[in-house]
Parts: sequence; C-alpha cells; structure tokens
Amino acid sequence: MWKYLIEKEFRQFFRDPMLPRIVIVFPLLMMLVFPFAANMEVKNINLVVVDNDRTDISAELIEKCTGSGYFRLKAVCSDPREAQEMMDRNTVDAILTIGQGFSRSIVTGEDFPVGIKVNTVNGTKGSIGSQYLSDCIMLFMKQFAGDGSSSPQTASGPVIDAAPKYYYNPYMDYKVFMVPSLMVIAVTMVTGFFPALNIVGEKEAGTIEQMNVSPVSKTAFIVCKMIPYWVITFFMLGMCLLIAWLVFGYVCRGSLWGVVLFTVLHIMVTAGLGLLISSYSENAQQAMFIMMFFVLIFMLMSGVFTPVSSMPAWARAITYANPLRYYADAMRAIFLKGSSVADLWYDAAGLLAIGVTVLFWAVRSYRKTS
Amino acid sequence: MENVIEIHGLTKKFGNFTAVDNISFSVRKGEIFGFLGANGAGKTTAMRILCGLSVPTSGGGTVAGYDIVRQPEKIKRHIGYMSQKFSLYSDLKVWENIRLFGGIYGLSGKEIAAKTSEILAALGMEDVRNSFVSSLPLGWKQKLSFSIAMIHEPDIVFLDEPTGGVDPETRRRFWELIYDAASRGVTVFVTTHYMDEAEYCDRVSVMVDGRIAAFDSPAGLKRTYGAADMDGVFRILAGRAVRKE
Repeated sequence: MWKYLIEKEFRQFFRDPMLPRIVIVFPLLMMLVFPFAANMEVKNINLVVVDNDRTDISAELIEKCTGSGYFRLKAVCSDPREAQEMMDRNTVDAILTIGQGFSRSIVTGEDFPVGIKVNTVNGTKGSIGSQYLSDCIMLFMKQFAGDGSSSPQTASGPVIDAAPKYYYNPYMDYKVFMVPSLMVIAVTMVTGFFPALNIVGEKEAGTIEQMNVSPVSKTAFIVCKMIPYWVITFFMLGMCLLIAWLVFGYVCRGSLWGVVLFTVLHIMVTAGLGLLISSYSENAQQAMFIMMFFVLIFMLMSGVFTPVSSMPAWARAITYANPLRYYADAMRAIFLKGSSVADLWYDAAGLLAIGVTVLFWAVRSYRKTS
Repeated sequence: MENVIEIHGLTKKFGNFTAVDNISFSVRKGEIFGFLGANGAGKTTAMRILCGLSVPTSGGGTVAGYDIVRQPEKIKRHIGYMSQKFSLYSDLKVWENIRLFGGIYGLSGKEIAAKTSEILAALGMEDVRNSFVSSLPLGWKQKLSFSIAMIHEPDIVFLDEPTGGVDPETRRRFWELIYDAASRGVTVFVTTHYMDEAEYCDRVSVMVDGRIAAFDSPAGLKRTYGAADMDGVFRILAGRAVRKE
C-alpha cells in the first residue's frame, strides 16, 4: 500500500508545473544572490566633511576616511549649515566636522576638535557609520602618533592595547555567517509550505474524501506524503552545500552527519506544523497565510538575522518555543565551528521536544471521520 | 432475505441543526436501493455516516456486518464509494489511478494488471489508458470512478449522485454498469435527483427534512400516493418539506 502512495506523490510532484522548478531555483537564489545582496555590512555611507582647519593634516584625515572603502565623499565645505542642509535633503548620511586648530592640537596632544554627526533614520547604518568614522579617526591618531617623534600617548603613561581576535569567522565575513542561515531558511520554507499546501490541495480537489473512505491508515497517508519532501529537502541541502563550496570555498567544519541529523529533526517540526495547519485549513489561501505567519515569526525571532542574546528578556523567552532558533544555532555551530552533536545536545533536545509535540498533535487532528 | 445495511434511530446534528433526524431502515443484499430526497434533505450526510466518513450524534447500525460507530475502518474494506464530486486524481493518468486505488485496497501487482485491462476493456477506454484523467469527458470520468470504486469487489457500493450533469444517453449507459454490478450480487446504494432513475431501483426511500417520509418499491409508492410516476410521488412528498435548502 505504501509503495503505491509514495509512487503517487512523486508522480504528482514531478508533474506539478511549478514545484520542481522552485526546488532548483530556490537554493540557487538563496545561495548565490542573498549572501551578496542581503548583507548587513554597511558600505557606501555618504559623507560630507566640514573642514575648518584646511591643513595637510586635515586633508590626510579625510583621505584616511574615504580610503577605508566604507565612505563616499560627497563634498568638502566650510559652512556647517551647508552640510546640515545636505543631510536634511538626504544626500549625505554623515557629517565630519574638523575644527580649527586640529593640526595644532594633534601635535600637542590636547583634546582635538572633531565632530561626528550621523543621520540615524536608518539606525543600523547610522550607528555603524559613526563607529566606522570614529575608528578611522582613532586609527589616524595612532598612526600619526607613531610617525611623530613627540607621541603624546606614550608620554602620558601606559596604554592598554586591546586587540580583539575573532574566532571561527576571522574576517567577520557576513557571508560566512549567512550561508548556514540561508540553508536553514530554504529547508524551512520547502518542508513547511509544500506539505501544508499539498494536503489542503487534496481537500479542495475532493480527492481526500476518496482516500478517507478507503482502508488506508492515517499514518500511511501522512508519512507517504512526507517522504518525497524529505528526499527533496536533502537534494536541496546537498545543492546548497555544493554551492557554498564551489562559490565561496566554504566547507562544513563539522560532520555532515550532524547536519543530516539536525535537518531530520527540523523537518519533523516544520512538516508536522504544515500538516497541523492543513488539517485546520479549509483552503490553500488560509493554509498559506497561517504558514506565512509562523515562518515570519520563526525567522525574525530565531537569531538568523539578529542575535537572540540582544533581545529583551520577554522576546528571548519566546525564542525557546521557536524551532528555528535551535536549528539555526546548530547549523551555524556545525558549519562554522565544527561542533559535534554532543556539544549541541541542547539544540537537539529543543527540536525533538517541539517536533514530537507538533507531530503528535498533527496526527491527532487529522481525522478520516468527522 | 439477508440485510447488508441495518440502521436504527440514526441522528446527526450540526450545532442546532438536525441534518439527519432519527432514521431507521434496512437494505437487502443485492438490491438496487434508491436514496431520494430534495437538496438539503440529509441524504449525503446519512450516506457519509454509512461509509464511515462521519460519526452519528446518536443511533447506530451495521453496514456489511460491521458497526458504523465502532468499526468504520472495517466497513471501509467492504464498501466502494463514489462521491458527488469527481474525486480521482486528475494529474494522474487513467491507468495510474486504477493502479493507485488497486494498491490502496491491497491488490497485488498481478491483480492490478488484470483489473486494469478488465476495466479498460469493459469501458472501451483502452485508447485513453495513458491520458490524464482531467482530459476525459464527464461521462467517462463517472464510469471510470464507478469502476475504480468497484476495484476491490466490495459487498456494497455507495453512489452519491453519480450521473449529475450528463445527457440521458450517457446516464442510461451508466445504469447498465449499475445493473451489471447488481447482477453479480453487489448491493447498490444510490442517491439521485433524476426520477426516471428512481424507477430503475428495486426499492426507494424518500427523505424529507432529515426524516424518511416514504419507503417502498417504486410501484408501491406510486400506488400509495396515486401518482403516475416517481416524479409525481416525489413532488407530493418533497412539497411537504418545511426546511429550506
């Protein structure tokens, strides 16, 4: 009986005009477009400099800032009002004001008059921009002090030099960080949406009634629907890993079996949720919207985009019920750190607990009789 | 004569609405039983209970010797069901649909192959074996649905308005299939809106407002109500309905 049902699901999948294409295109898009496009690194910050010092040293500072690659110098002016106007018109994101006597005070080691003003309508861009800008100035100061014979810092006593060393992702490359996360998103989308829409589709077509009136068991019907999506998910995951290796040269540091194990656990959750939603939904639109609702919450509250540790306590509490939190965490750890399954028992337990609950509920809620 | 369906005090409520109101009847083995009633009279609801698709609010009975409340899954092995809405897989080919349902009812590969040629030959559909079911004309779809509902040689076959939307000639050919099944000892339980089809049944029941208003052979009913044909009988009975659709 199982053989015939699985055969049916595969036939229907490959005959669908869209699904096989989505399965090919989706990982390509996720892995080749998003790591470049949806990037949290802030670049191309438009900068205007109000230079009241007008010396070689101030010109050097401007060059230092623009040379970092993060800033685009829009103009150098001497009137602060002019610069403010440019910010108001949104042509610049940051204003660097170099006060009169800058070159003098940098030599003598006094407080030097440099002002940073940023547009924080886009908060991330603003705060990161001001950070970059002050880093540039600090770096400039340091170099200047190193060159000069009369270094004010060394003269004024010991300097604590804190040099951070970044582990696991040494260049803080956002793409490295995002690649495992994008795989997580691809897997979630396919295993969540496809089964939900599939069963609702049978409801709409009326074919589910012909199944319900047959002696086919609930478990057989549901598991046979899942199997093709498991196969497809692993095909997609393979594609993602291959692209990560070919295009970015990233290889999974940990064991691939770990990746497989966590993916299986995660599929249990999302597929169970898909089924649960489809057994409560009357039609495809309903199922689609409810699934969308959950997937959005899962993604935004998972640590995929923003770190869980920086969320307020109440939001952090919610993330414990979010399967994506565990899966994304585990995938990153295995992929970037090479963690073993034993290190990640916590994530495995979380996924398992949610998965068992959802699946149990899903099988209970699907009824052959009403 | 042996009864294959026996129903006592069957009731189904949806909230305050009583779709099926305390009905009792029995169907004999091998007869063609017409289950008539206006739209909304409760026919489909009652039929779904008998097929194990719906649980009655109260009352009970047996179908093919199994209890409708406690053993619905056992009933499902012994009945065939053709729903009002065409419910084969339209994205599967004719032979694939036959194979799927054969497999679901536990037929072996060999049995499925034999059944497939048998069905296609009987329906004269060998040429469309590899066509998608969606491309078939409605009359063919109905005949194919019926044959697939019969694939596991059930004791009883339930047909819910099997001939809706086709011309009289196509309906007549469909009824040939029904007669053929009955001649092989299969009990046919059929709902219909066409009163000429009601004339073909051995016995009929007429449901009005969730209750069985009349139950007899077509000839007996015509005598009782002094009507020339089943159409007349139906108009008299359905005219008494209080409940609207």
